[in-house]
Amino acid sequence: MTDSISTAKVGGDKAQRAGERRAGLLLLTPAFVLMNVVGFFPMVYSLYISLTDYNPSHGGIARFVGLGNYAKAFFDLQYWHALGLTFVFVTLSVTSSLILAVLLSLLFNMRYPGFFLLRTIILIPMLITPIAVGIVWRVMMMPDLGVLNYILTVIGLQPQLWTSSSSTALLSIVLVDIWQWTPFMFLIVFAGISSLPKSPFEAAAIDGAGAIRVFFSITLPLLRPVIVIATLLRIVDAFRTYDAAFIMTRGGPDFATDLVSVYLQRVNFRVFDLGYGSALSWITLVILTVIILIFTKLSGFTRIISEKEGR
Amino acid sequence: MSAHRAPIRRFSKMILVYILALLATAFFAFPIFWMITASLKSDQSITTYPPVWVFAPTLQNYVKLVEELGIMKMFINSAVIVGLSTCLAMVCGTLAAYALARFDIRNKQLIAFEVLSIRMLPPIVSVVPMFILARWLGVFDTYWLLIAAYALSGLPFVVWVMRVFIQDIPQSIEEAALIDGCSRLEAFWRVMLPLLLPGLAATMVIVFMFAWNEFLLASMLTSNAAKTLPVIAANTLNAKSIAWGMASAAGVIMSLPVVVLVLLMQRYLVRGLTLGAVKG
Repeated sequence: MTDSISTAKVGGDKAQRAGERRAGLLLLTPAFVLMNVVGFFPMVYSLYISLTDYNPSHGGIARFVGLGNYAKAFFDLQYWHALGLTFVFVTLSVTSSLILAVLLSLLFNMRYPGFFLLRTIILIPMLITPIAVGIVWRVMMMPDLGVLNYILTVIGLQPQLWTSSSSTALLSIVLVDIWQWTPFMFLIVFAGISSLPKSPFEAAAIDGAGAIRVFFSITLPLLRPVIVIATLLRIVDAFRTYDAAFIMTRGGPDFATDLVSVYLQRVNFRVFDLGYGSALSWITLVILTVIILIFTKLSGFTRIISEKEGR
Repeated sequence: MSAHRAPIRRFSKMILVYILALLATAFFAFPIFWMITASLKSDQSITTYPPVWVFAPTLQNYVKLVEELGIMKMFINSAVIVGLSTCLAMVCGTLAAYALARFDIRNKQLIAFEVLSIRMLPPIVSVVPMFILARWLGVFDTYWLLIAAYALSGLPFVVWVMRVFIQDIPQSIEEAALIDGCSRLEAFWRVMLPLLLPGLAATMVIVFMFAWNEFLLASMLTSNAAKTLPVIAANTLNAKSIAWGMASAAGVIMSLPVVVLVLLMQRYLVRGLTLGAVKG
């Protein structure tokens, strides 16, 4: 990996030929236009909207209100509740699926016959449309008729209320998220485990290290870059979870699953308070960015990437 | 003594590993099995308790989807929107990736990370300004709006993944073509492109998957004419009496293309999903 990148780097300088000074910029232009017209311009526009009281259902005249929306957001307990729930949701879902993914990778790394087929089957959940995932889990979680409660009673456990009770609703959608996205983590962690060098393990075997010692002192440190990348992507995606929660609970019961994206959808598209909704969007974006920056700092992500970039 | 017991221990370890692996697989496979069977059940047999495992399969849910909901129209909408946006993202992204991999450009890293930041942007944040601007420009509920939005969200994948694929091809191959008298364009078209095809196909599948499964933007930026499959599937749950069979059938129909495509292109899946950071 590093080899190919370093040769490409040396070549990159040589590639420039006479009369090609503008070629690179020309090639970047389509992507640049797409990014700015569809991406950054609407975001800047949204910053402007967030300073107004724009609401199309009130006649659609935008009056400038300064930082009024941001001040209002500060005291919006419903929003902070939603943000708190999202933190809990992301933390529970990402840690559980990471642990599960590492365990699965160790298990499937034994490479017995038939494991390739099983691994392929395990991949499927992450490919299913999240709306379909929400539908099928809602069918399975019906408290009176659902198959999950049937299975629980058959193996002698208490049936659950799942998404119908405010005490188990959040855990239920966490379970669905774990089900859908553990395969994603597993795929990446497994790729990491498969490409680990052999020699440290041979050395450990000669030194007579036990399996648990080997795992914590060799496997895990070597896997770290891969785990960091998978976790970062998963945090970003878990933070925006909307589809399955929308289908299964719509934020209920009693706001127990009112994730940030569900709450923002309600502010923006149920009451069309677009000025206020834009302010909340920007606050959310800033908070997400801070979380990502803290994570990249703590996990050494920037170092991993710059090592990969080889420059 | 231990020489006798070693094979037994190895054998019981193997049994244990197989049991664990099968249990894990069952956990991930069961809901999919349940969705497929529910789509083949009549509405009565979906809501009988205890659940029925053996039943006479019927295609009535699929027939109803086509006849009552006109799902073919949404299928075409999805196919056109996702197809065109994927192509757009592929063209713009591959050109940019080529520029970033092969040319000397100032602030290369900065540009690459700007592209990456799009991957971080939650759609619930960008949907509001898009909604307002789209109504203002008169493109609300048209193909164009969703095509642009999905092309944008696919862009970071294409740029980052293709950049790695291009960097993996030795510069000398391309230089040989240039020395033989090819123009830069010819060298790209005749020499690079054939070598990049597997990478392009793999990236395309990822971009396709994310656009095909997308719901939030599709549900907020369309009302009727440009509705996609996930939106109509979510709508089956809005009706007064929830049609579980139809909803499950819609789930099967929309998931099938992605599952088939991605399983065919499994080889580069890891690289694509991690935006080129992890080699699969």
